[in-house]
Amino acid sequence: MVSIAGLSAALLVTLLLVPELFGDFAAYQTGLFLIYAIAGQGIGYLWGRTGVLPLGQAAFFGISAYASAHVLLSIQSIYLQIACFCLIVLTAGLLAFLLAGTVFKGRSDSGPYFSLITLALAMIAEQIAGTATDLTGGFNGLSGFAPIAGLDQFGNLYYLVVIAVVLSTLALLTLERLPAGLVARSIADNEPRLLLFGFKTHWIKGAAFALSATLAAVAGILFANHQGIVTPTSSGFLLSANLVIWTAVGGRNHVLGPVIGAVGIGYLSSELRDSVAYWEVILALVFILVVLKVPGGIAEIVTGIFQRFYSFTSHTVSKSVLVPPSWQGKPAQSLSFTGSRVRAGSVTVLNGVELVTPKQGVVCIIGPNGAGKTSLLNVITGGLRLVEGELHYGGQKIHNRPPYAAVKSGIARKLQVPSVFSSMTVSENLAIAMLAGRAGFTDFFKPSTLRWRSQRLSDLLATPGIPLLDGIHHRVSELPQGHRQFLELAMTTASAPGLLLLDEPCAGLSPAETRHMTDVISQFHEANGGLILLIEHDMSIVRALADHVIVMHQGAVLAEGSFDEIRANEAVKSVYAGGTK
Amino acid sequence: MATLLILNILWQVSVLAIVTIGLAVVFGQLRIMNMAHGELVMIGAYAPVMTSLLGLPGYANIVVCLVTVGLIALLMERLVIRHFYGRAFDSLLATWGLSILLRETVELIFGRGYQSVPQYVPGTFSISGTDYPLYRLVVMAGIIPIFAGLYIWYRKSKIGVEIKAMVENPSLAQACGINTSRLSAGCFIFGALTAGVAGLLLAPTIRVEPMMGLDYLIRSFFSLVIGGLGSFEGLFIGVGIIAGAQSTLGALFNQTYGYLFILILSIVFLWLRPDGIYRRS
Amino acid sequence: MTGSQLGFSEIKCGYGDTQIIHGISGRVNAGETLGVFGRNGVGKTTLARTLVGEIPLSAGAVSLRNDDIGKQLPYERRRMGLSYMPQTGLVFDNLTVRENLSLANSSLSPETYFEIFPRLGERLDQPAGSMSGGERKILSFVRVMLEEAQVIVLDEPSEGVQPENIECMQQCILARQSLGCSFILIEQNLSMLMTLSSTLLGLESGRVVFESERNTCDRSDLLSVLSL
Repeated sequence: MVSIAGLSAALLVTLLLVPELFGDFAAYQTGLFLIYAIAGQGIGYLWGRTGVLPLGQAAFFGISAYASAHVLLSIQSIYLQIACFCLIVLTAGLLAFLLAGTVFKGRSDSGPYFSLITLALAMIAEQIAGTATDLTGGFNGLSGFAPIAGLDQFGNLYYLVVIAVVLSTLALLTLERLPAGLVARSIADNEPRLLLFGFKTHWIKGAAFALSATLAAVAGILFANHQGIVTPTSSGFLLSANLVIWTAVGGRNHVLGPVIGAVGIGYLSSELRDSVAYWEVILALVFILVVLKVPGGIAEIVTGIFQRFYSFTSHTVSKSVLVPPSWQGKPAQSLSFTGSRVRAGSVTVLNGVELVTPKQGVVCIIGPNGAGKTSLLNVITGGLRLVEGELHYGGQKIHNRPPYAAVKSGIARKLQVPSVFSSMTVSENLAIAMLAGRAGFTDFFKPSTLRWRSQRLSDLLATPGIPLLDGIHHRVSELPQGHRQFLELAMTTASAPGLLLLDEPCAGLSPAETRHMTDVISQFHEANGGLILLIEHDMSIVRALADHVIVMHQGAVLAEGSFDEIRANEAVKSVYAGGTK
Repeated sequence: MATLLILNILWQVSVLAIVTIGLAVVFGQLRIMNMAHGELVMIGAYAPVMTSLLGLPGYANIVVCLVTVGLIALLMERLVIRHFYGRAFDSLLATWGLSILLRETVELIFGRGYQSVPQYVPGTFSISGTDYPLYRLVVMAGIIPIFAGLYIWYRKSKIGVEIKAMVENPSLAQACGINTSRLSAGCFIFGALTAGVAGLLLAPTIRVEPMMGLDYLIRSFFSLVIGGLGSFEGLFIGVGIIAGAQSTLGALFNQTYGYLFILILSIVFLWLRPDGIYRRS
Repeated sequence: MTGSQLGFSEIKCGYGDTQIIHGISGRVNAGETLGVFGRNGVGKTTLARTLVGEIPLSAGAVSLRNDDIGKQLPYERRRMGLSYMPQTGLVFDNLTVRENLSLANSSLSPETYFEIFPRLGERLDQPAGSMSGGERKILSFVRVMLEEAQVIVLDEPSEGVQPENIECMQQCILARQSLGCSFILIEQNLSMLMTLSSTLLGLESGRVVFESERNTCDRSDLLSVLSL
């Protein structure tokens, strides 16, 4: 908390000193660069945190600037003007929210396409601004209006801009330390995992885009007040490009990066453009070098130097907070597949599965490779669509739902290849897992939510042989594959699900680690009850865990029964003998 | 009038196809969002200017074009591009920087003004009563066998599979014995050279100036978006729609409508059908 | 190191500043298999990636027959006769089964393998990504077996593969061994290791802690290394 206040205060003092030290004209110039910096901060947040690069922020910037120009031209009352400005910002945010939410709905791979959509929008805005003369004044633009509240654009308006920059910095810094910020960051890392935790990621991206559009709109309003003229160039391709360049050079991963970028490059450009003939060439070279060598921009260099002197990574283990009960912990139900059929291209993956599981206990699914075991789980969590037949969980029809719906029914899933947030630390991974099925809307904005830890999770971590506690502040990318199996298990069991789906949890584990894993699974089942569906090849594991065994073959259920019944089944013997490591 | 419109559409489609084929390789195959593609077209268009400055005869144009663009592409690939395979966004930013660099450098050398390039094949040819520039007809007729050849070669050779393998998993591709650094450099330079040749072919029909690249970049980019990446069929569908719609709407109404139509169409595709019209199974 | 197909001595390597392998030596003769085992995170995969050239050596030497290959790039090592089946990212998901196999660049016919693993033959024109985890292991295995190599490095080929198919893999490996091909086999599956290996190498924290001929050790020796 100290660093947020400290950083914001330092920024405030520095910016307030500009008119005193360098005079009013310098302050006027700095004001414009700071306005761009606010839009840049929005780009930086969206791009650096959620991994979505907006290429057309100038559309929001420009439209807001034009709208503000009309407000200043036609409305006299200052209160009405303020109300209109608020309306502009809200509209920009809402439109952005709906746009991103709709585009991202149903697909998690549309990042680059979304960037191009925003680019096309900015180009449309520029075309319209240039041709719709009645509305925009064409190429000459709108002009002849004075700033709000009789402020002087070469004087005291600067302080309004400074307040805006400091406020947006404060807001973004705070957001980064909240659970909402952590979730936003995890989208860029592993969106499918977040979906399985029940997060509607398209609306999270929508919210992040809305935030960046809001900042662009604020910047656009300030721009109209500050410049007294709005032309098509304030809405188009070139401004969008420059905003991204300033953000990239300054640093997209730090809130102050875009400020450094916009003010720094803005100043140098205005000083050197006329005196050095090949200034633009130098600027292009610097930009290429930054993208090539320091993707984190100038901010990365600065924080790197700071960290050499002060160690920020103190990892003071704050006391964990006991969690509210999971609303995912519903009593388990029976799963029933009736005539379920799945096709991928021309291949039939599931070919009329008929299956009713018990309500309780550990059910092991075995069968040859390609029998449809993983596909069965994919149907349950919504990754695959049934073309025929049905799937019910208790009384509820659950097939063909989006992946985030599974959590609501109390279903959690561990994937075949461990799926975790690899750019984050183990403890951050666990923190996100604790949110799943527990956090309400307001919890995402309370810092204490980040310290949630259930008793059962603490016990699991403390179990001897579980290799997670030692490296709890290490990045997951440094963990070997086998440790990620344990991490993902801990994360999926964190919500105390009624139905737990485990896809080869012991793959890649040594015999000793396999024993730890099976112990943890049975302990979880003893404490939590419910139904566990587990895919496994190793018959010793199946024997140790299974209350009930299902054999799949060629996309259908071949046999089911107790372990011994299956061992004795002739039909099973002919396709699958089983063995142990 | 109708003949002229059809010929103009065919000309626009042909020209855009030549510009787009290189981007299809670099963006569609290598997944490098090359924002400097238009600048490579622009440098190709400056080749005749360089040739006459050097005092070389007209037929040296093609050599000057290939050598200049090839060298620039080699430098771009070795120094910058090869760090960005598999990183679409970062490649976009880096090539954005490269595009500014190339543009500003050309401006420093040749100045901001228009250069006019003399017609390589003067004269007109009459088709059903309409006089049409002979040069354009020659170019249109010439690109058909070139594209057919490329198509057959791509289908027959294993290079398509190797490129796809390299883009999906470079280290596994290496483990399969593919020299990934040579393959990727080869693809990039091929893409750049076709852009350069496109510029050279366009030069006598347009005004050559440092800013000319952006328009070609945008149109070829959106052609690929609409048509779909990674196939010849998609390329021609996309190019046909973009060039056809733009010249038709441009002729019937005005250029702005044509441009807006392309942008809106692209948004619809990016949103609802990001794989483009021609989607491979 | 005469007589050995692949030899490595005192190799050290790691990622960035972190050293993971602290001096490991070993060799494999023609027609034999060197089995490598150890707990998760002891450096088995790092060793494999170093041998095939994906991770640069920081010290030590790797030789393929009589050639020093410590500085060769992965594709050069492949062309010199060293094949590699990685643990993850082991097939090209976007390519079809046929295209994946075509990258073996082999004159050998895949038909014999389609008889052993019929699913592959049935799915030649499906994208590899549409297949299950175990089937992808098999596809990758077959691709590597098709490659005309003298030494093959296999990183956990049996993970997620059904027991019958593990048995088939073992038969394929034995058949290639009898033709003089050598293997470096990294496995958690002890029975597979015991069946195929002539020499066993146990790793712990990037060092060799166990080295024995197959016929002078048994399963319990291996288990004791794994529970270190």
